[in-house]
Amino acid sequence: MNFDFLTILFIQISIYTLLAVSFNFSLGFTGLINLGHIAFYGLGAYTSAILWQKGLPVYSTILIGGMVAAFFSYGLIFFIRKLKGDYLAMATLSFNFVIYSLLLNLDDLTSGSQGIAGIERPSGLDNNFAFLVFVVLVTSLCIYLMWRILTSPLGKMFQAVRDDEVLIRSLGKNSFELKVKSITISAFFAGIAGGLWGHFLGFIHPSFFYLNEVIILLTIVIIGGLASLKGTILATFIIVFLPELIRLLDIPQSILGPMRQIVYQLTLLIILLFNSRGFFGKIDLE
Amino acid sequence: MEIYLQFLCNGIISGSIYALVASGFSIIYNTNKFMHFAHGNMVLLGGYVFYSLVTSGVPLIIAGLVSACFLSILSVLMFRLVYSRLQSKNASNVILLVASIALLGLIQNVIQIIYGEQVKVIDLKGSNESLEIAGVIITPVQIVILVVCIFLFVGLYFLLNKTNLGRSMKAVANNQELAKIIGINEKAVKELSFIIGSFIGGIAGSLIALEQSLAPAHGVNLIVKGFTGAIIGGIEVVPASILGSYLLGIIENISIIYISSDFKITISFGLLFLFLIFKPSGLLGQKSSIKK
Repeated sequence: MNFDFLTILFIQISIYTLLAVSFNFSLGFTGLINLGHIAFYGLGAYTSAILWQKGLPVYSTILIGGMVAAFFSYGLIFFIRKLKGDYLAMATLSFNFVIYSLLLNLDDLTSGSQGIAGIERPSGLDNNFAFLVFVVLVTSLCIYLMWRILTSPLGKMFQAVRDDEVLIRSLGKNSFELKVKSITISAFFAGIAGGLWGHFLGFIHPSFFYLNEVIILLTIVIIGGLASLKGTILATFIIVFLPELIRLLDIPQSILGPMRQIVYQLTLLIILLFNSRGFFGKIDLE
Repeated sequence: MEIYLQFLCNGIISGSIYALVASGFSIIYNTNKFMHFAHGNMVLLGGYVFYSLVTSGVPLIIAGLVSACFLSILSVLMFRLVYSRLQSKNASNVILLVASIALLGLIQNVIQIIYGEQVKVIDLKGSNESLEIAGVIITPVQIVILVVCIFLFVGLYFLLNKTNLGRSMKAVANNQELAKIIGINEKAVKELSFIIGSFIGGIAGSLIALEQSLAPAHGVNLIVKGFTGAIIGGIEVVPASILGSYLLGIIENISIIYISSDFKITISFGLLFLFLIFKPSGLLGQKSSIKK
């Protein structure tokens, strides 16, 4: 494990931490069963890449990517407001599929199955270490903002919506409006994470934002524990690091990818079977 | 007019495949009350088992039956090791759905390690030669698919409606507690619906292997199509989910006349999303049973 390898690994961990925390924000803290979170991540990545191609400066495109993701999440929550339980889960998952198939088929806008290549990093950050510093700064700032929101009165209201929606309504609060706030904030940060990811890799493809990523994200959040920020951060470290150990074994590249996925899937199953609250989980998935 | 007839025929054929996936999924859903999403890759695995058997010289019918039985046994293992344990811990439907999504991915990656990423095709002499019947072009394999579907669905109708097993399944589907009180072993019934559903899945997989190609990524597509068909018709009623699947196949294929075929997948995803939002009980399902 040389220095550059570790730098790249930590960039991945940073971006994933931001994504996972933003997922836990709506899933764990507000109780929105949202399996479409990866779609927001993808929307952020694609918006930022497309606007960058059109000549806008990178920092602003990442920010706009977040806003576009938030805008889509507003549309989604409006449609799914009456669904519950596994139907809600399936509707949000199918939203993810719709976005995936649009990214794949709107060739003029997204260059379809070829993906978008040659996305550049912000000027001056071509060095991996410099980019790591940038990513860590952005991620820390975003997580700090989410933490501030969650510990504010608004954050307490989010958790109250999760625990007892009827009670919240009987107190004269608009629970739908609270859900809207929660999911748009969460989608905004997922979009930012997507933008960072695209500019880091330099290449994005619709398949980066599909079912496998949903499984990784669920694994991270459930292992760390729902409604626990430190759990999510710790779990991201473990989950991104763990499969890198497989790389040390001497197995061919074609098996490496599936093996890595199998590690995620088995971990998720074992956690569900033996300790469904993960490390620091405060609630169960309902 | 001729072109509509051709696309209608294509729609019925792809609808048959979706209906085979949907009926198995729906049988499992009815008694177990959770979404066994991994069914899509189970079907695909059935296709791969069929492929291995046929390419090593096993006759088609035996290969299909073996692959169906293999899936049944595997699904019992899955039920006992994962689902049944979660159910006895009173896990919510969402947890079971997450577990089944994990299993879906797990099977896909195991397939990818065993068979590799390349597309597998079974090449039988003459099976995909096109025949022209009443102005419609159809292949022998597609005729086999239609015939097998008719026999299977009629058989399924008798099994679910005319036998004691079918009645017990209905009882468990309607009211688990009551079924237990009158002495039905509900766990055994749930397991049996996994066996029946996966058996149909194995036959579906074999037919898919004959007509189309096999690739590790196809399974997700299969379950999404089957699930969409089931939701359009009404997931709680097996014949309704079969009809819904045919409807989906026909809509998909007719739409190709008007828009690019690339958007086929967007149409089914979009239909799924719209139905889940506006009519989760489906066109023919009972409205009351969905809301809890």
